[in-house]
Amino acid sequence: MRKKLIIVTMILFGAVFLSACAGGAVRGMSWPGLATDGQTAYLADGPFVYAVNLSDGTELWRYPGSRNGKLTFYSAPAITPDGLVIVGSAGTDHSLIALKPDPKTSVPVEAWKFTGAKDHWVAAPLVLNNKLFAVNSDGNLYILDLQDGQSVKDATVVKLDGRLWAQPTTDGERVYVTSLDHSVIAVNAETHEVVWHEDLGGAVPGSAILGPDGMLYVGSLASKLEKFDPATGNHQPVLDAENWIWSTPSLDGDTLYFGDVDGNLYSFNTSSGKLNWKPVKPDGPITANPLVQNDHVLIATESGSIFAVGNDGKVLWTQQIGGKIYTTPVAAGDLTIVSPLETDFYLAALDVNGRQVWTFTPKN
Amino acid sequence: MWDLFISIFVNVLIWIYDVVGHNFGLAIILFTILIRIVTWPLNAQQMKGAAAMQALQSDKDWQAIQKKYAKDKEKLAQEQMRVYKEKGINPFGSCLPTLIQFPIIIALYQSIIRALASTPLDLLKLSRSITLPNVSDLIPLNSKFLWMDLARPESVLIFGFALPTLALIVALTTYVQAKLTMPAATTPGDQSAAMSGMMSIYMPLLLGYFALTFASGLSIYFITSNILGIVQYAMQGKANWRSLIPGGLKSK
Repeated sequence: MRKKLIIVTMILFGAVFLSACAGGAVRGMSWPGLATDGQTAYLADGPFVYAVNLSDGTELWRYPGSRNGKLTFYSAPAITPDGLVIVGSAGTDHSLIALKPDPKTSVPVEAWKFTGAKDHWVAAPLVLNNKLFAVNSDGNLYILDLQDGQSVKDATVVKLDGRLWAQPTTDGERVYVTSLDHSVIAVNAETHEVVWHEDLGGAVPGSAILGPDGMLYVGSLASKLEKFDPATGNHQPVLDAENWIWSTPSLDGDTLYFGDVDGNLYSFNTSSGKLNWKPVKPDGPITANPLVQNDHVLIATESGSIFAVGNDGKVLWTQQIGGKIYTTPVAAGDLTIVSPLETDFYLAALDVNGRQVWTFTPKN
Repeated sequence: MWDLFISIFVNVLIWIYDVVGHNFGLAIILFTILIRIVTWPLNAQQMKGAAAMQALQSDKDWQAIQKKYAKDKEKLAQEQMRVYKEKGINPFGSCLPTLIQFPIIIALYQSIIRALASTPLDLLKLSRSITLPNVSDLIPLNSKFLWMDLARPESVLIFGFALPTLALIVALTTYVQAKLTMPAATTPGDQSAAMSGMMSIYMPLLLGYFALTFASGLSIYFITSNILGIVQYAMQGKANWRSLIPGGLKSK
């Protein structure tokens, strides 16, 4: 009898433990996506997308109005010139949803919904000339016409490879897509044909960025920063990092800032092809893109800190937010908005000196 | 400590994955075989313990004690412990391997999820787990195996209905394994046989539910482990094939 009790107890313990594994300790399956239009912060975080008033940190609306088991969000929303908030779901229905905020209600209207993808949406879509370039974990680039909401069902599908987790980049002529299958792909923005497809030897979870020299720069899990000729795809490594480069480099003049998962911040001069200074090592792994400000760059770390690093590599100030920060902070006027994990609040707004102005915690 | 355990599993899985030509399904199967080899002494102990407990049920002294102290549970327990000691039987010896399975299942499940990394957070966690050199060219691992995505629960669409084939195979193989190892009842009130009978119903349902709900990579582990268990019992001549026939285990 005692044996039976022990076995049944272990089975129940195992079931509970396994169930706990599926959810994880964080709010959603991954870190939240964050965007702003200067007035409102849009946070895609687990079961909801929240719109938060930047002036006081209050909730304007959330989508969906109540929990929907098929929907979960962590890709950063994209905001179109006409005010649509477009966000992809990492839930089971794989939908890409365009939300139109309605001042009369606390729930935005679904302007349209695209359900033609087969996997999770991790990356924010790119808006270019009334077209939406959206990449999905199923390895496809979906091109949707923003002018006609009905035509989203007939999206142009460009079959690429691997899981596509980063927002595409464009120079207006081509759209550059990075893939976890180790490649960078250039697609003609008009004809939608693949112009070139190059292997980097490591997965690319971040986006490419166009440098002031007209070249394309990409970091990868091969721990290298690569420089591409955007016309031909010819490329070469220009810097070896200490570990995986997760973040998308941020551009300030002719300098690229980027971090690695060992916690190093690099300042790479695209003109000289050299580092401006020895890498700064704040206090934890860096997955968020550096945020370039007037005379400094803000770095968010997994240790829950924000570091302001000057152009000379000196730390100007630090602010301990708490929790873990993986999401790229966004700037809105004098505010910097940060979204940590494993904290009671979902958003924190900092002023130019790093002082906390408000925090946002959803009700219910 | 637990995370170290997961990291070891992840590294072994990735190493096998690399060796077998980037096939994660095959890596799970080979890893399961490795686990079965490592836990072989425990399984042998389970069989030995089950056989000893089975033999005890037909022991006349044991039956006399059951009758004599039927109304005094405390005294009965004391006497049972005395007999266990005299005969050198560990009453928990037969359930230890079952208990060992659960931490392995949990660790394997977490290892599969971490290794396949279907979200950015999982991929970041993976970077901390890897101690093997030069594996960045392997990342991300290929999660496709046959018709399955090993990071997700499995089902096959048949006439518009999502049939969870792996969950059914898991439940079936668990049932067959439990039945084959089920001892024949020696007496009408044989507790050991009754308990085994209950387990042969509960375990397939529970593991089937796990297979239905969690990553299909875990189902590959269950199926491989069950088949290996059946083969192990059969090779040792201990598989009770009669028990698969309804009524085949009734006491005479």
